[in-house]
Amino acid sequence: MTAAIDSSRASVPDLRLGHAKALLRQVGSTLGIAVPVFFVATLITFLLGVVSGLDPAAAIAGDAASPKTIARIRADLGLDLPMPLQYLHWMGEVLRGDLGTSWFNGVPASELIFQRLPISLSIAGMALLAGIVGGTALGLVAGVRQGSRLDRATTLFAAVVSSLPPFVVAFLLILIFSLWLGWLPSSGYVPFSEDPAGWLAAISIPAVALSVDVVADIARQLRTGLVGELSENYVTGAVVRGLSRRRILFVHVLRNAAGPALTVLALKVPMLIGGAVVTEAIFNMPGMGKLAADSALRGDVPVVQGTLVVSILLILACNLCVNVLLGILQPASRRRN
Amino acid sequence: MIRHVLRYPSARAACLILGVVAVLATAGPALAPHDPLAQDTAALLQGPSAVHWLGTDALGRDVFSRLLAGSTVSVLASLLSVAVGLLLGVVPGLLSVFLGKRFEWINLRLIDALMMLPFLVFAIAMTAMLGNGLVQAMFAVGILITPVFFRVSRAAALSVANAEYIEAARLMGASTASVIRRHVLRKVVPAVAVSAASMTGACLSIVASLTFLGIGVVPPDPTWGGLLATDLANLYDRPFGPIAPALLIVATVWALNALADAMRDTGTDNKEKPA
Amino acid sequence: MTGNVISLDSHVPHGRRSEITLVEPLLSVRGLRITAADGRTLVRDVDLDLPAGGTLGIVGESGSGKSLTCRAILDLLPPGLALASGTIRYRNVDLSGLDARSWRALRGIELSAVFQDPASYLNPSIPVGRQLTEAIRAVLKLSRKAALARALELLGRVGFRDAEAVYPQYPHELSGGMAQRVLIALAICAGPSLLIADEATTALDATIQAEVLDLIATLRREEDLTLIMVSHDLAVVSQVCDRIVVMRGGEIVEAGPTHSVLHHPKSDYTRSLIDDHAVHTIDTTEGRQPPAAAPASPPLLSVSGLAAGYGIRTVVQGIDIEVAPGEILGLIGETGSGKTTLLRTILGLIPAARGAITLDGQQIDGLSDRRLRDFRRSGALQYVFQDPLRSLDPDLTIGESITEGLRLQASLGLSAMKASVAAALVSVGLDPQLADRLPGQLSGGQRQRTVIARALALDPRLLLLDEPVSALDAVNRSHVLKLLRRLADERGIAQIFISHDLGSVAGIADRVVVLHHGEIVETGPARMVLAHPAHPYTRRLLAAAPRIPREAPAAARPLFTAY
Repeated sequence: MTAAIDSSRASVPDLRLGHAKALLRQVGSTLGIAVPVFFVATLITFLLGVVSGLDPAAAIAGDAASPKTIARIRADLGLDLPMPLQYLHWMGEVLRGDLGTSWFNGVPASELIFQRLPISLSIAGMALLAGIVGGTALGLVAGVRQGSRLDRATTLFAAVVSSLPPFVVAFLLILIFSLWLGWLPSSGYVPFSEDPAGWLAAISIPAVALSVDVVADIARQLRTGLVGELSENYVTGAVVRGLSRRRILFVHVLRNAAGPALTVLALKVPMLIGGAVVTEAIFNMPGMGKLAADSALRGDVPVVQGTLVVSILLILACNLCVNVLLGILQPASRRRN
Repeated sequence: MIRHVLRYPSARAACLILGVVAVLATAGPALAPHDPLAQDTAALLQGPSAVHWLGTDALGRDVFSRLLAGSTVSVLASLLSVAVGLLLGVVPGLLSVFLGKRFEWINLRLIDALMMLPFLVFAIAMTAMLGNGLVQAMFAVGILITPVFFRVSRAAALSVANAEYIEAARLMGASTASVIRRHVLRKVVPAVAVSAASMTGACLSIVASLTFLGIGVVPPDPTWGGLLATDLANLYDRPFGPIAPALLIVATVWALNALADAMRDTGTDNKEKPA
Repeated sequence: MTGNVISLDSHVPHGRRSEITLVEPLLSVRGLRITAADGRTLVRDVDLDLPAGGTLGIVGESGSGKSLTCRAILDLLPPGLALASGTIRYRNVDLSGLDARSWRALRGIELSAVFQDPASYLNPSIPVGRQLTEAIRAVLKLSRKAALARALELLGRVGFRDAEAVYPQYPHELSGGMAQRVLIALAICAGPSLLIADEATTALDATIQAEVLDLIATLRREEDLTLIMVSHDLAVVSQVCDRIVVMRGGEIVEAGPTHSVLHHPKSDYTRSLIDDHAVHTIDTTEGRQPPAAAPASPPLLSVSGLAAGYGIRTVVQGIDIEVAPGEILGLIGETGSGKTTLLRTILGLIPAARGAITLDGQQIDGLSDRRLRDFRRSGALQYVFQDPLRSLDPDLTIGESITEGLRLQASLGLSAMKASVAAALVSVGLDPQLADRLPGQLSGGQRQRTVIARALALDPRLLLLDEPVSALDAVNRSHVLKLLRRLADERGIAQIFISHDLGSVAGIADRVVVLHHGEIVETGPARMVLAHPAHPYTRRLLAAAPRIPREAPAAARPLFTAY
């Protein structure tokens, strides 16, 4: 027998602990990145209001107000402070959950936003779900059956869809499902709590319209990932060991191939939440995107900033989830980073 | 490079489409048979006819003329957005690889923050707050697509930054500037060109979305996205209405994507070919 | 060599065959022909017979078809390649006509394999132990608990002292040798009859290679395995196998018992393989005067008390080295011994933690950025990389690459630049016409000469060479080594030459330094150290080098008898 080699740089519990620690470190570093990113993103949002040069004091005081009155209102609102202080002040309020009051109707911005949030979340969430399910299915088939007719059809689909603006897809879907077939409503929203079926009918066209783009991108990335991974040596190794095709694909290859698709998914979330603006406009739904667009055109700075802050938080949360998932699926990538 | 790209049939078709679009963008308003802003109350929401090839809209304006007249603005807007994105993305992308850890960290966080912004909502907010206009919209979109160019140029630079020939150059006393000029730029330009082509298409679609919502362009001026918006509003009266502007947008975006794909494919082909 | 009477001795390429098969072969390959999608034939007319318990070595350089033959046996041909004709019989089954289900019943259970770069054959995201239990459960249908017990037992059998500690590790946490042991455990987990080892020890350090070869030989005996061993290295194969097949260009050029192939090679190609093994190891020292025991002139480079590392981790320490003008110092050590770290510290790429480095009396460690750049532009210290292809910018012509350093030095005219490129190319024995070519258009040997020419163009005093010949084949290797020796003798260029391959160092070095775990364990004149190693580690290193057995004819002298 050959000399035994010393493999035990660490004992078993130590190693397990090491692996768990590595995962924790990954979560930690993701958070460590997310916090500065949150502050930079909100700073940009804040600066937007400053750069706009809009002054609420004049609007509140009315046309007849004296400069003195306006100055007093400005002081009340904290607008006479230096800009960094204004940001800190605003950030403090945001962190306490106070997004300010609408300059137009005096309603708290958070109230306006949370009234409309369920609508946007329904559409974006459903679009995300449809995108993941459809994209994974298409990508799997295309990746495993490279060069088959279905693979080419998927590639073509992805190419066509990625050149379609989402509102064109929405228009096509309305044409088919509302105007011709009359199955689904072409506008309006029904809360889930009132009528689940009606809710589903109302959001299905906008959600599907938003998701096609996600389906195409996920399918394309997953296909690329699969094609790359399937030519890796460890697949050959698994074949030699006598493992079944299904086991090799789902247990071994998929987790390693999912990287690019998951990354793209994280990048797509801002697009989904942003893209809801257009679909909400088309389907005439009073969602958060529509609120943001209307407020922006009215110059209602607190409401715009509020919607942006809420969106940024949602997007950061999604990114965090994707990163943790990647860390669990591919422990080796933790080491490489 | 160009000759290699044109070996692909899809690339040839793409070039043909882009040629037509280029003609429309430069000479579109001059080619229009009618005044795109002239209203004809006698002919509202008409179907296609010999006089009005694509019919008229709710105000009796000639749709075909508006489509041609809108080309310049739509194409120019997306090109300028890409220019802004290139300017703001490529230089920091390259330098982030070579100028030390602190510079890199700050740049990465800035780009991360930009990527965390809800795209269209932010573009709308920015455009509206800076004074709703085309220049503002292009600037907003340009800033928002900066991460794409940052990442592409950074990835290309990273892929060569640790190459042994760069270490060899440094060991001969080459400065960072000379390393970038002699070794890095050549590898970055093709990758950036590919994403510039596909991003031009994406910007066209984004600008169309914005103008569709009435952002960035003041209503009477025609754009492709704006035309689509009015056509969708009149869907019941002119169900065929959105087809022409939608087709124009889709064809242009497809052509740019196909060209980008062909460029990417030639790039990898040349690399794989053993010399 | 009992029970191993097969037909290989009498292999005749054109089909006239008078074989005496006493034992029913376990594996029998007849007229194997593999073609690519574009019609090229990659392997033709390959016949092999292997009795149960036999050991067969297949030797050839890359592209000889040796690996493809093995892959065909396992039905693992890369996409685009196909078995055009021929039969592969395993026991009484014709493998070429099997469906997927039957293959699964065969692979892992009857046939198994280990490969080069073992870690890449393990899933990077799953602990190695789990992959082992998975394989055991897939083929043996054991319960979870029984499979775990079997897995731990197997890990022990392949030499892990603490199997439980290996079990939860990921492949990237294992060294190459450890990963190969895991792969071997996977290969034997179901008690297969035939094991194919395809370059299984290539790229491993010499001592690790010896251990793994030893393990394979032991397991073969204990498990009653039939073995096919594929390697580019005749010495490796001859240590383990009873019979050898030599392949070249997709065809068998020679086959027979190991003894007769080594000692009475029939084909010129086999003879050249045996000769190569001897040539690059020794011959280049012929007719050279041994240098003075201690350098008489003041040393060109002097390193004293040097310690360096990455962050808080010290990789090398207590390093004292002196190099005289025109002297070649061989730096020997295995992966992780710190030889590359030492070189990079001298180059100023890693800061020295302690100690001093002087070149020609000038201190060169701890220079400021500007002074370091000025020193580098002087060109006195030049570096030659291991892989010439990666150290040349693929987009720059050879001429442009060579002039890069000159451009940084001074503003030479175009014609002066051209002249110095031509001079540099001629001095390394290359045609000046090559200056307009791209690196991709040159052969491996030409590229490495180009890299040396690039260094020479700057008129260096000291050349640092990191494994400069390990990527080259035997012929180019000896040419480049001769070139380096000539540069030292004729132009007085001192060199530090890193290698894990004792053979190349033995050929040209005046003195050698042996590094182990970041410290110098032995130093002295090359002949002395290699012929009479004092330190146990040096002895182990020398013993581990694969060699062709001693009774070989004149050409195949054992590695270091020249001294």
